[in-house]
Amino acid sequence: MSTTADRHVDQYVKRLDAELADLPRARRRELVQEISEHIAEARADLETQSEAEIRTLLDRLGDPADIAHEARERFGVRPRKPRALEIAALVMLLVGGIVLPIVGWLVGVVLLWISDAWSTRDKLLGTFVLPGGLLAPLGLGLVSVDAENCSQVIQPATGVVTEVCTGGTSTSLQILWLVLVVALILAPIATTVYLARRMRRRYQPSDASA
Amino acid sequence: MVVSGQDALLAQMRRGTLQYCVLALLAREERYGFDLVRALAETDGMVTSEGTIYPLLSRLRRDGLVESTWQESTAGPPRRYYRLTDAGWAALEGFRLEWGRFRDAVDHFVERTERR
Repeated sequence: MSTTADRHVDQYVKRLDAELADLPRARRRELVQEISEHIAEARADLETQSEAEIRTLLDRLGDPADIAHEARERFGVRPRKPRALEIAALVMLLVGGIVLPIVGWLVGVVLLWISDAWSTRDKLLGTFVLPGGLLAPLGLGLVSVDAENCSQVIQPATGVVTEVCTGGTSTSLQILWLVLVVALILAPIATTVYLARRMRRRYQPSDASA
Repeated sequence: MVVSGQDALLAQMRRGTLQYCVLALLAREERYGFDLVRALAETDGMVTSEGTIYPLLSRLRRDGLVESTWQESTAGPPRRYYRLTDAGWAALEGFRLEWGRFRDAVDHFVERTERR
């Protein structure tokens, strides 16, 4: 059996699986399995396993996007409009910690997990990247990292005033610090954008067109 | 010249009637998925892509109009055979009546078009 053929088939099935992402898991698995079996049957009928024949076979099957569209129509999966719950979750996750330290962010986490708009994996991502949202970098940014920190100390015994300078941080550490803060700002924002795009369509089985 | 609205209409009509064609095929004999798909695809004008039959079959199963059983096959792994249920029979008969009436009505108008 030609490996180019296998590769085409694998790619096709992978694409199909991806396109069916917003279907209920059972339906999705079922469809992928049935179509895989169809491909296997069709291949068994072929004279040779040439690339041209495989591609014709897959063309007849149709574009995975079309199959997914049909599946969505048949099962009544509609595009979801983000509800207040989802918007509130995202906002609180990002900036809730600033408005209401820690508690605000925790509210965001609770809303995230209540919502059915995200998979468990996405929810875990939203919780741990990064905890606190933008509160973390904001808090860290307030910690000043100076080159030097001098203060006047009065010796109680002798009354002599001495200046004590605590060693500051080196330049490379300062740069590292800056990079860290920037990363801590970008990560929660990136997570929020990611979650916004990953919101799943709502599954409504009752009003599907038969 | 085909207008895009017409394409949508045709697509809708196909989607609406396709399931009854499936039911009708199964009324004659039970078939397995691949076989069914090929039988439908052979008739011109019915299906644009074979893969879209499978969501339909899944839906018909869920609605109780067809049922499936796994049967051993000499050609390889067990196959899923589809068969009409009583509800499927009833739906098909109901459609047959309606379709006959509808088709005759549309033909009555559409057949005799001549530009004056």
